[in-house]
Amino acid sequence: MNAVSRSTTAPASRGVQTIRFFARFTRGQRWEHGLLILSFIVLFLTGIVQKYRNEQWSQDILSTPDRLLLVQTIHHIAALVLTLEVLYHLIRAIVLLARRKMSPALFPTLKDVRDAGQMLKYLLFLSNQKPRFGKYNFEQKVTYWFLFFGIGIMVVTGFILWFPVQVTSVVSGGIVPAAKLAHSTEAIVAGIFVLIWHFYHVHLERLNLSIFTGRLNEDDMRQYHSAEFERLTGEPARPETRDQGGQS
Amino acid sequence: MAKRRRSTRWLALAGIVVLAALAVLALTVPARAESQSAGDIYTPPTSMGVADPPAQQTENYCLSCHGDPKLSLTLPGGETLSLYISTDTLAKSVHSPLGIECEACHTNIKTYPHPAITYQTRRELSRSYYQACQKCHSTNYDKTLDSMHARAAAAGNQTAPICTDCHGAHDVQKPDQPRSRISQTCGQCHTQIFADYKDSVHGVALIQDNNPDVPVCTDCHGVHNIQDPRTAQFRVNTPDLCAGCHADPRRMSKYGLSTDVYSLYRTSWHGVDISVYKENWPTIWHTSAVCTDCHGVHDIRKTDDPASKVNPANLLATCQKCHPGAGPNWTAAWTGHNKIDLNRTPFLFYVEQFYSGFTPFILWLCVIYVILQIIRAVVGRVRRSLR
Repeated sequence: MNAVSRSTTAPASRGVQTIRFFARFTRGQRWEHGLLILSFIVLFLTGIVQKYRNEQWSQDILSTPDRLLLVQTIHHIAALVLTLEVLYHLIRAIVLLARRKMSPALFPTLKDVRDAGQMLKYLLFLSNQKPRFGKYNFEQKVTYWFLFFGIGIMVVTGFILWFPVQVTSVVSGGIVPAAKLAHSTEAIVAGIFVLIWHFYHVHLERLNLSIFTGRLNEDDMRQYHSAEFERLTGEPARPETRDQGGQS
Repeated sequence: MAKRRRSTRWLALAGIVVLAALAVLALTVPARAESQSAGDIYTPPTSMGVADPPAQQTENYCLSCHGDPKLSLTLPGGETLSLYISTDTLAKSVHSPLGIECEACHTNIKTYPHPAITYQTRRELSRSYYQACQKCHSTNYDKTLDSMHARAAAAGNQTAPICTDCHGAHDVQKPDQPRSRISQTCGQCHTQIFADYKDSVHGVALIQDNNPDVPVCTDCHGVHNIQDPRTAQFRVNTPDLCAGCHADPRRMSKYGLSTDVYSLYRTSWHGVDISVYKENWPTIWHTSAVCTDCHGVHDIRKTDDPASKVNPANLLATCQKCHPGAGPNWTAAWTGHNKIDLNRTPFLFYVEQFYSGFTPFILWLCVIYVILQIIRAVVGRVRRSLR
């Protein structure tokens, strides 16, 4: 991707700071993330009410049988939205990869393992050097691939639970209670992961809104994706060497 | 003035005399009536209060006529009513040996000739006489008023049972001796249900072995205030009803039966559905399976009995009652009241194994990683500010 964009093309002058922005996500990817957030939240909320329907708080919400049916219907609609989004994502990725039109930046490499080791050293005060990340750091790749497989499990087990009679005409019935346990547990695991891991990285470590705006500013690029910054601009990411511990 | 005072004094005196005379009359008249009703029989006071005469005294008097097997009369409706009472029957009943005799129930007959019978039919007579039971057995009598049987009677069903239909009239016996007597009593009218029950695992143990642990009709349906078992409320209570025995380790251990059946059912798809409905909407009919939907109601059999609805040979047909279209693979979806087990439910076993490690691993990984990041960021910030 030859993706250096500038918010202003005018040269920097006194009193005017030029902030460069770097394109990070396409319009389609931003829409996909929006659909994912929406369906994930709806599925999580309508699902957790059903998972804990032995509990009083759940029964307060599902106060009538109609309400229970409504919650299930909403869950199914959101499930269809997510399934379509997953199919679109997969087919698009496969087609683009086959035509060699997609950057393989998201695929895990050996560098990610080394980065993770370096990050661990840094976090344990064994090193003062943060790893230098490319377009996607190993944390972001973990997020993507964890949810990739997590959502895969949820979609597959979800359809087993939705159409058990049809499914067991092909496979053993033992898959149904196993799917129920997997669906119900994976949902909690995915919820924990998003709440702790993903939210820390995009809200607390820094506010990273690039998935909504599609672009990342120069400061964040220099600091968090220094290797990518250097690759795109040819400039050194950190002219003045200073402690890597965080921004001012 | 003086004359007037004297006359009022006379009036008062006359009033007292009249009142005294009335009091004497009031005391003597009922006493006379009482001695008349008892005839020539000596009537000492008794401790029972129910029957004033001592045991077998009025009974013998009544039997002097009613001991005749040919004694009968024709009711206005055309039916013949035998008036014969066997001495033997009375002697074996619970009432007569206790001194509770004829007039305790036949309260309207004080003497001979008896008052005329106005009942059209024998049933009408029974339905009137049985109300005498409440004189002593008021608690149980009141319970029957809130029963399915009373509602049937109120709806015009004259054959709906009354006390004497189950307990007997002149031959009242202890209803639960032997215990199988209870179910046989119900079976007098509920013949098909009794036939099913008789061959069930419970019925066989009751009737053949006189087993004290198996349920008789009243254990599940109640005794005097028997309710309609076809309601949604009865349905959602079924698992708890069965659990009364089947979750009792003392009772189940005798027969090598697992008490997990109830707790595992409660966590199953069916069980959660039913418990939610029981908690919130007990009057709304729900189709999720309760015990009896799969095991049968009165015809429950051991699971290894070839006639059992949940025998592996019949299980699919039982599932198909609610899951039409389910194929032969379907029954493996039912974990069969068993804990997760490698041989029985391998898929479930491996999923459970995986997540029992994976869930805490992910949770701790996220938490520890984020905490390390926060510590490092804070320390870095402090260092820079001190520089």
